Amino acid sequence: MAGGSAISGLVGARVHRKEDRKILTGTGRYVDDVQERGMLHAHFLRSTVPHARIVSIDVSKALEVEGVVRIFTGADMSAIADDLNFAQPIPGLHSPSYPAIARDVVRFVGEPVAMIVAESRYIAEDAAELIEVEYDELPPVMSTKAAMAEGAPQLFGDVVPGNIVHTDEQLFGDIEAAFAQADHIVTDTLDQHRWACNPMETRGGVATYDRGSGQLTYEASTQTTHTLRFLLAGWVRHPIHQFRVIANNIGGGFGLKFSAYREDVAVCAAAKAIGGTVKWVEDRNEHLIAAGAAREEQLTLEAAVKADGQLLGLRVTMDLDAGAYPINPPATVYTGLVRTTLPGPYRLPAYQFRHNIVATNKASYISLRGPWAVETLVRERLMDKIARTCGISPVEVRRRNLITLADQPTKMITNVTLENVTAAETFEKLVSMIDFDEVRREQEEARARGKLLGFGLGTFIEPAPGTKDFWAAVGFPFGAEPARIRIEIDGKVTVFTPQTPHGQSHETTLSQLVADELGVGFDDVRVVYGDTDATPFSMLGTGGSRAATMASGAVVYGSRELKKRVLDIASHLLEANVDDLQIVDGVISVKGAPGAQVPLAQIAMGCWLAPEQMPPGTNTELEYVASYDGEGGGFSQASHACWVEIDQETGDVEVKRFLVVEDCGKMINPAIVDGQVIGGVAMGIGGMLLEHSAYSEDGQYLSATFMDYLMPTAPEIPDIEIEHLEYESDKVIGSRGVGEGGTVLAPAALLNAIDDALAQAGGGRVTTTPVTPTRVLELLGVIEPD
Amino acid sequence: MNTREITVTVNGRRHTRTVEVRRTLADFLREDLGLTGTHLGCEHGVCGACTVIIDGVTARSCLQLAVQADGAEITTVEGVTLPDGELHPVQEALRDSHAFQCGFCTPGFVMAIYGMCEEKKAGKPVPCSRAELREELSGNICRCSGYQQIIDGAEAALAAAKEA
Repeated sequence: MAGGSAISGLVGARVHRKEDRKILTGTGRYVDDVQERGMLHAHFLRSTVPHARIVSIDVSKALEVEGVVRIFTGADMSAIADDLNFAQPIPGLHSPSYPAIARDVVRFVGEPVAMIVAESRYIAEDAAELIEVEYDELPPVMSTKAAMAEGAPQLFGDVVPGNIVHTDEQLFGDIEAAFAQADHIVTDTLDQHRWACNPMETRGGVATYDRGSGQLTYEASTQTTHTLRFLLAGWVRHPIHQFRVIANNIGGGFGLKFSAYREDVAVCAAAKAIGGTVKWVEDRNEHLIAAGAAREEQLTLEAAVKADGQLLGLRVTMDLDAGAYPINPPATVYTGLVRTTLPGPYRLPAYQFRHNIVATNKASYISLRGPWAVETLVRERLMDKIARTCGISPVEVRRRNLITLADQPTKMITNVTLENVTAAETFEKLVSMIDFDEVRREQEEARARGKLLGFGLGTFIEPAPGTKDFWAAVGFPFGAEPARIRIEIDGKVTVFTPQTPHGQSHETTLSQLVADELGVGFDDVRVVYGDTDATPFSMLGTGGSRAATMASGAVVYGSRELKKRVLDIASHLLEANVDDLQIVDGVISVKGAPGAQVPLAQIAMGCWLAPEQMPPGTNTELEYVASYDGEGGGFSQASHACWVEIDQETGDVEVKRFLVVEDCGKMINPAIVDGQVIGGVAMGIGGMLLEHSAYSEDGQYLSATFMDYLMPTAPEIPDIEIEHLEYESDKVIGSRGVGEGGTVLAPAALLNAIDDALAQAGGGRVTTTPVTPTRVLELLGVIEPD
Repeated sequence: MNTREITVTVNGRRHTRTVEVRRTLADFLREDLGLTGTHLGCEHGVCGACTVIIDGVTARSCLQLAVQADGAEITTVEGVTLPDGELHPVQEALRDSHAFQCGFCTPGFVMAIYGMCEEKKAGKPVPCSRAELREELSGNICRCSGYQQIIDGAEAALAAAKEA
């Protein structure tokens, strides 16, 4: 349906996106679209070796190339910028600081060793080829196991003893008693591979230093302008009030663009040193090699269960391969998220969680869409294994352990309040939509054709935005969300949000909410984001599926405050009781008395131009900053079912059908929710079957193009069937985030389906990802394991 | 510097420029002509974000040199939008289906689907089923959408495109 104007009841409708005209006509402004007069171009020369001392670096020949303006080595950069330091007061955290450009040691293939600034990117790349770097190679450490081994090469010496960035163990309940009472002990392992965010727009930024005003402006591809600003201002030694960060169109982030990176520091420092504009846009090759990747984690699980499948206790160990350099947030946030969320929507009386965060000679471990996702993956696979051990179905084992609405409010063993959580209800709905006899018939029919049809399912909860006690358990601040709202002189509305949307459609959803609350047209609301000179501060920007609850709450409460002020004024003008007034299509009227009305624009003009003439005692300030604390927050939830067909000759896995039952509470725009769910599931499928940020044993990066790093394309993804529950709680803001869930849960349903298929042919169970055709053939015994 | 003069007609407008022979067509369109709607997602011909139409054929502007386009007629995403600024039926169909999210891959998909619609109008065979459409669009990568709503929009756009 059209946006138009004058419609109330926009919330809940499939309103056209405000963002679409720009992106469909090619008139957006992404970082690489920025062109300034005299703009220079930066290119990074990157390390070709995984671990080495830099003996010497000779830039003399490169400097002779016509059009080269300046070359920064590590020493040059250290003279003008501080080392990046992400250390936080977290007990036991060993967080090394590091220079924007490597000074003495390189620790992964792709680490910047020099930055060339030239009149064009072509010239900068030409010059890079003429820089001579002499390395004294050191042995690389390419796995958590190798890094923690006795006598392993130390990446950071005493700064990260034993290459262990952080280690911890936490106990909840009486774990010994749980295992003493167990009828079965069920164990499982998962060795997950590295895969990456790979937004279609890579990282990049354009830094401009204005010598006259002393202002430094950085237009960047970022998910969080305010955090980028305060981190960079410190490291490039620039006063923060003279530092502005801008984000316009952002071509996807998926968690990657939540941090500040060393390239950001180098580009800003260079612009300041040169006194002009410097653009840096990473190419895909650099992005794949150097931007970092996610999900490389090894977990072992040991569950104590009763004969009937009831969970009694769970022991988990997790090793996280952090790569060489820490970024924001510290990796303890990820282990904290995994630890806290892993019990999921199930009753679990006792729990022990241990982790090691380990430094290796790889690019940084980064946040990727639901960075805690491995908790759901290992838990849902464990539930299937428990079912097999106890001789019950995957549906039954979940039913016997799931926390239903009737059990709530309650607390997870990890001290997190569960309230209005409908995982069990989404699961029952999912089960009711599946004909299990038909699944068995199809499996027989497939086997007759020489194929294996596997079926798998799973359920989970998503902290979107989570509760306050959830974030306390994780060890990360929850943070309120502000929004500034202004009714303009003509009655139109401008909303300033610290969200930095990069596909999440906040220009649309926040406009829907404000239009409904204030009784103005959808096209009469504009959402401003991404400019630290204009938007209120938030540390978080867009991430963690917070916006549906937090940004919504901020604009709803802000709108209500302004509406109160406007109606108060109108009640004097119309000589009516405030409770009898309404705003419809920008006109305030007395309900049931069609003649008595005053346009919002008239009140707005009075408030801005002649406040002294407005009714005495009224508040004529039509700009308001609201702050929303989340009303206790909450979870969204979903259950997924997946059907795969495996070709026993080729090992190919085809996802035949994928069913999602999700509940994110009140949907603001169902078409946008669908897009988030489908995109999330597709990313989960790609991550499990195709994508791999692979290193060789000697530390070379192997997936440096899209011919090696396989992204899912349209034929690999089926149409996703979606059912929405929309459980309505008593919270004013009943919407929950839905951005990450698809990617979190889909891998679990998918791997359960693959295991189901393999089991039909007597094959082994998946314990290492990705599930490539080769891996499938190995598990089927067709070929020998590598 | 090795340069050559080329004349290219882009979105109906003739441009004569001197370019380095190694300059890619994508860089020429984006930086020399300021047509930044054409995006660069991989610069090695896999992602399809830089898709344009060259003499009636969809092509990747990152894999061609500007000098190879000498004398050619090119349509970019900016040229698909109707002269009065209104959305082309292909763009409308993709908006109606809520096809895209971050928008970075969007110009490539718009051009690929526009190209199919133009072929259909010219009486050439085009994909019919959703499965065929998924195959046909497998040269364009989208990280956000999971493709389903793009396929919805492409289906609608193709259904609306009538043979002249």
